[in-house]
Amino acid sequence: MFLPESMSRIVIVGANSCIDETIEALYALENIHLIDHTVDADEGFTLGTPRPYSPKTAERLLKVRAMEKDLGINKHTKTNPISESEIRSQITSDSVESVESEVRAVLDKRNDLNQRITELNAKKKNLELLARLPIDLDLYAGYKSITSVVGTVEKDPTQALGGMGETFVSMDKKAGSIVAVFVKNEDRSQAQNILSEYGFSEIQVPEGTGSVTAALQAVDSELAVVTKELAVVEQETGVLFEKHKHFLRATDEELTYDAEKGTLPVRIATTQYSFVIDAWVPSNQVLEVKQTLEKKISAVYVEVEEEKRGRRESEADKQEDRFKTVPTKMKHGKTTKLFEYPTKMMSIPKYNEVDPTVLIAIFLPLFFGFMVGDVGYAIPFIILGAYGLKFAKNPDWRAIATVLFFGGIWAFIFGFFFFGEALGMHFVGHIEEGAVTYTWAALLGLDNLDKFFGMFLMNGHGVGKIDPEYVGMLLRLSVYVGVVHLGIGYVTAIYNKSVQYGFKHGFLEKGGPFLSFVGVVIVGYAIAFFLIMKAFTVDEMLPILIVGIVVLAIGSVLVVREEGAMKVIVDLPDTFGIILSYTRLVAIGMSKAGMALAFNYIAIGMIAGVDPLHGGSAGIVMVILGFVVFCVLHLMIWTLAILSGGLHALRLQLVEFMIRFYEGDGTEFNPLKIKHVKTISNINTKEA
Amino acid sequence: MAAAEAAGMIAIGAGLAVGLAGIGTGLAQKDIGAAAVGAITEDPKMLGKALMFMVLPETIVIFGLVIAILALFTL
Repeated sequence: MFLPESMSRIVIVGANSCIDETIEALYALENIHLIDHTVDADEGFTLGTPRPYSPKTAERLLKVRAMEKDLGINKHTKTNPISESEIRSQITSDSVESVESEVRAVLDKRNDLNQRITELNAKKKNLELLARLPIDLDLYAGYKSITSVVGTVEKDPTQALGGMGETFVSMDKKAGSIVAVFVKNEDRSQAQNILSEYGFSEIQVPEGTGSVTAALQAVDSELAVVTKELAVVEQETGVLFEKHKHFLRATDEELTYDAEKGTLPVRIATTQYSFVIDAWVPSNQVLEVKQTLEKKISAVYVEVEEEKRGRRESEADKQEDRFKTVPTKMKHGKTTKLFEYPTKMMSIPKYNEVDPTVLIAIFLPLFFGFMVGDVGYAIPFIILGAYGLKFAKNPDWRAIATVLFFGGIWAFIFGFFFFGEALGMHFVGHIEEGAVTYTWAALLGLDNLDKFFGMFLMNGHGVGKIDPEYVGMLLRLSVYVGVVHLGIGYVTAIYNKSVQYGFKHGFLEKGGPFLSFVGVVIVGYAIAFFLIMKAFTVDEMLPILIVGIVVLAIGSVLVVREEGAMKVIVDLPDTFGIILSYTRLVAIGMSKAGMALAFNYIAIGMIAGVDPLHGGSAGIVMVILGFVVFCVLHLMIWTLAILSGGLHALRLQLVEFMIRFYEGDGTEFNPLKIKHVKTISNINTKEA
Repeated sequence: MAAAEAAGMIAIGAGLAVGLAGIGTGLAQKDIGAAAVGAITEDPKMLGKALMFMVLPETIVIFGLVIAILALFTL
């Protein structure tokens, strides 16, 4: 539960003739984590070459992906999965090629039309400019001794060109200015030089005869025809999209795995006639893997190299480099698995360290629930969380839903049994004149609630989050929770190192911080109860203080021995800091309770004018208005509760808690397997 | 009169504790927030981590709050 699953290392040896069969079998087993072969790792072995079918698969995959891109099919496109055997038979009967020729024909037509439209638009733009000059199209060219220079300009160049030739200009700031100059052939470059100073940019005069306006009309009508054709082709594309989307998505998936399988030999060691595969397998499945493979394929032998890799670092040190890192397979039940997300957010745990997921699963919802601590907010959290867990697919949303659901349950428990609150108001309690408190019992006129809640709520009405009477107790409580939580963190650190190097080493390395922490707690306890709470006399305090200092000193000596004196100086104030950091458990709750108190006063007291002491209200309209304001304001607090409650609960895990022991940076167990999304796995082929 | 004055001073002290700590948190969050927005623009998947970093300095204001509570309430 705390350490990741035990792993064993196996070697699969077989004849090259059955490599395809073996690859299929490995994928079907779904628990083989391949160890990549490195060049020169073993003498006489070389890396394998892709299977003969690989190039064809890659080519088909490329075609499928190109078609998907052109048709606008992507992973968000909703398609129906197709059975694997059907897709396979379609691929072997060259369906990809036939679909491609069908799609390509339409797409080529679409591309041609799009290109034609671009050309026509460019031509139209030029013609629109030329239409402003009183020259027919055929007059621009075809002379022996003179030439025309036509283009757009920014300023009027007539003056500068002077008597060089005939100049026609039409200036228009908005639509662009055009100039056409007719000069002698030999003056052409000089004219261009002069024009360049006026922001000249030459345009091509379209070939043709007659007036520009007529040509423009011709272009317009052609454009209309082409656009119409394009619409037809677009429609055809839409039909193709609908017709082939299922096939293309499924083929994409199938071919992707085929390509992966085809290039698998590149990751393993081969000789002329045989292959060798190194792999990690969960220890409890080794026998099953060996039996299945050897029974299924005659020319394959499986040797168990390492029965079960131990957690000691010394065991890993003995191995070759590529066998040193063992993949981590987190071992969790259905519920704890939901909390793997925050762990992974930090890092994957190493094979030989505690996987903090279980601890997070306990404390994250607990802290969230304590910070919210209100029945009125808890119920929507539970509903929203349950809904998310049932329907959400995205891992981010699922992680949020997990916290909301389990945190919501804790919030309900704390809100009902400890704080006795819903929407910032106690269920029952004594209302004082002038104090801005309302209770549900008084608002709803249910006097007999007192008895029911009096049975279990502290002082008969529960703990008030911002009641001076309870603030001290809540603060102390949060510090105690912090001490316990951090204590677990420090002990886990010792355990981790003990697992890796033995208890003596573990204690010497991580015992120092733990003892310093315990020392700080005892010293802090003595000083706080003496100075702030005034619960101890000097005589009572001194022995406790001395014990604390002694423990702290032993811890510090161990830390100095391990990491130097600087570490002690830096860590001591830090330890106080991280313990006090847990007071956020109360602080967040207080801030929300404070807001709720003010909002309730605004909605119930000021707008609706309800007076719980003497009865009466400001009329039905104001009561309804007050109710609406009440809902809106509480929705705001509720939303803030997700952010502040969720983030701070998470932060206490990731920062205060996990930094005490967690190293992470492990490799995730990543077995060869096919994740069927757009295809339906074919059990029959699996068993064959 | 003296008692009222003392209570007033305590209230001012508590206000300063929370207020100044809040400014400290704000200064720290200003830089982190800017960097976080930059990171999220490059890769929206960073949102979770960025939010995490955003709340790191909030410890400072919580220390201020604890001091204010110690000043205001007799524990």
